[in-house]
Amino acid sequence: MRRIERLINLIAALLNAERPMTAQEIRERIAGYDQANFEAFRRAFERDKEALRSMGVPLEMRPSGRDGILDQPDAYIIPKERYYLPQIDLEPDEVAALRLASDAVLGGAENAAAGFAKLSVDSAPASWTRPRVMWGADVAVEQPMLGPLYSAVLDRTPVTFEYQPADGNKRKRELEPYGLVHKRGNWYVVGRDVDRDDVRAFRVSRIASGISLSDGTFDVPDGFDAASHLGGEPYEVGPGAPTTAVVRFAPVLRWWAEQNLRSGTSRGLHDGSLEVEIPVANLDALISWVIGFGTGIEIVAPEEARRALVEHLAPFLAGSR
Amino acid sequence: MNEPSEGRLGRRLRRILVLLPYAIKHPGVTIEELSNKFGVKAEDLLDDLDLVFMCGLPGYGPGDLIDVSIDEDRVYITMADYFSAPLRLTPAEALAIYAAGAPLVDLPDMKDADALRRALGKLGKALGMDGASGTAGIDVELERGSVEHLEKLQAALGMGHRVHIEYRSATRGAMSERDVDPWALIAALGRWYLVAHDHLSGEERMFRLDRIKDVMVLDQAAPVPEDFDPARYKGGFRGGDEEPVMSMEISPEVARWFSEYYPIRVAEDLSDGWSRVELTASGEVWAATLLLQLGTGVRNVEPKQLMEAAGDLANSIAANHA
Repeated sequence: MRRIERLINLIAALLNAERPMTAQEIRERIAGYDQANFEAFRRAFERDKEALRSMGVPLEMRPSGRDGILDQPDAYIIPKERYYLPQIDLEPDEVAALRLASDAVLGGAENAAAGFAKLSVDSAPASWTRPRVMWGADVAVEQPMLGPLYSAVLDRTPVTFEYQPADGNKRKRELEPYGLVHKRGNWYVVGRDVDRDDVRAFRVSRIASGISLSDGTFDVPDGFDAASHLGGEPYEVGPGAPTTAVVRFAPVLRWWAEQNLRSGTSRGLHDGSLEVEIPVANLDALISWVIGFGTGIEIVAPEEARRALVEHLAPFLAGSR
Repeated sequence: MNEPSEGRLGRRLRRILVLLPYAIKHPGVTIEELSNKFGVKAEDLLDDLDLVFMCGLPGYGPGDLIDVSIDEDRVYITMADYFSAPLRLTPAEALAIYAAGAPLVDLPDMKDADALRRALGKLGKALGMDGASGTAGIDVELERGSVEHLEKLQAALGMGHRVHIEYRSATRGAMSERDVDPWALIAALGRWYLVAHDHLSGEERMFRLDRIKDVMVLDQAAPVPEDFDPARYKGGFRGGDEEPVMSMEISPEVARWFSEYYPIRVAEDLSDGWSRVELTASGEVWAATLLLQLGTGVRNVEPKQLMEAAGDLANSIAANHA
């Protein structure tokens, strides 16, 4: 018998069982476990459990509830309420829209397609003419830590991990993960940092170890908005005390500020340029942002930021090399 | 499931666990319909059904095995009530759908946006995340520039029309005007891009939406290549081999974040902790800007003319701040 048949038999039996089956019962009753001895059976069964769990089958261990079987106290079952996809009742136009979304995934397409197949199990097998794809969304969902983190968000399970900040040393963190945010092309997990007792955001790509689950559970505060805990522009987030800087956009770039800068007071000047006040907590990030505009933008104030920019450029200036 | 064989087995099992409920819910579904639905060849599907036919409940007698009959290409599966609903979505599956759906919902003028919003709402409920935020625990934020531009581009894509754009090019650090044939809108690296054939350069280009100053939809048809594949734009980079390459050494502090933002072709650790990297240089102004941003965190840049360009740009910026 092939292993895949044994796995299907195992799921069928444990899903249909009225009470948990002990390892001994599984060995004796489920087709495919005809290994020569109990040790060989045990190895095969462990491998099967691992395979099923990794694809999301809720194979659970329960006390067998039967006395006198000391060498095999564990028993297994797949609870129906945790296995079956709940009834979702999608309308045909909702199924079509989900299809559009799962077709637009760039990276992680296999997971999206598998998920869509489950969600569309009720829809009639009408012939589907695939519309021309006008969108693609690469939100980096194939990043391996995301699955386990999202699982913890959904189950409300605290997690611990080693975190490597951009500046500083690796440290162990315990977090109650409230939600995931994709911003500026990166994923962040936002939640309550247990040691600091405060909401913090961690960049998922800087999690240096595997994620381990802690005991217990937690509640997400009502109306919690994970995205609001991530700063806006890079210069708004940082170690420094927030100050206000004034930058002037040249007439040729004024449209850019009007179109893309959402916050801040602005003032149009008669030469066609635009002065904008922006909150700054990270001077290095401000300098990098300003350089990105070339000569189209000038720091007006504070004087300290103007000086810092020129100092930053000094190694490149004529005569210095 | 790390070995490749386990991957194949996992994929096949995953398919069977949703193929069964589908066939049970739609008695008489044809092989061809199943093959379309699950994107597998008919012979693989017949193999799956053959395999299922051998499985069932302990006892494994005629009353315990799953019954599969195929009558003139129509499939009937009985004796498997326990497989009449699919396995719930894994977090990775839900995340992939949700994260791709969320950006589409936010597109203006998206005719399926309402249906998609309802669908994602129902999915969020099913995942147990129907809290106040209504986001199923996932937020996707994308820079998209002006909403009006996006609306016009969506309309042009829908009609298959050419557009005229005013664009601030980072490779030249200057404004430009050009006609382009839009192929798709691609969200990558946290922002929307327009992928299009650019008539100014005669090449295919990606345009950042936040750098588009103006859009005008033209009354001219804009064909999309038959073999157009959005998957090529994964990561937001097209990286052709003919593009010029620059090389430089970066400090340990820069190396910590650099590879997350720039597509490095070659990287090599040096004995003093610095790293040598090679990457595609998207134009001299782009490279000069990058070098100035890195400041003292970069050295030994090749080709040398890029340092001269950086020096010129540094002088101009410094003059503005004298």
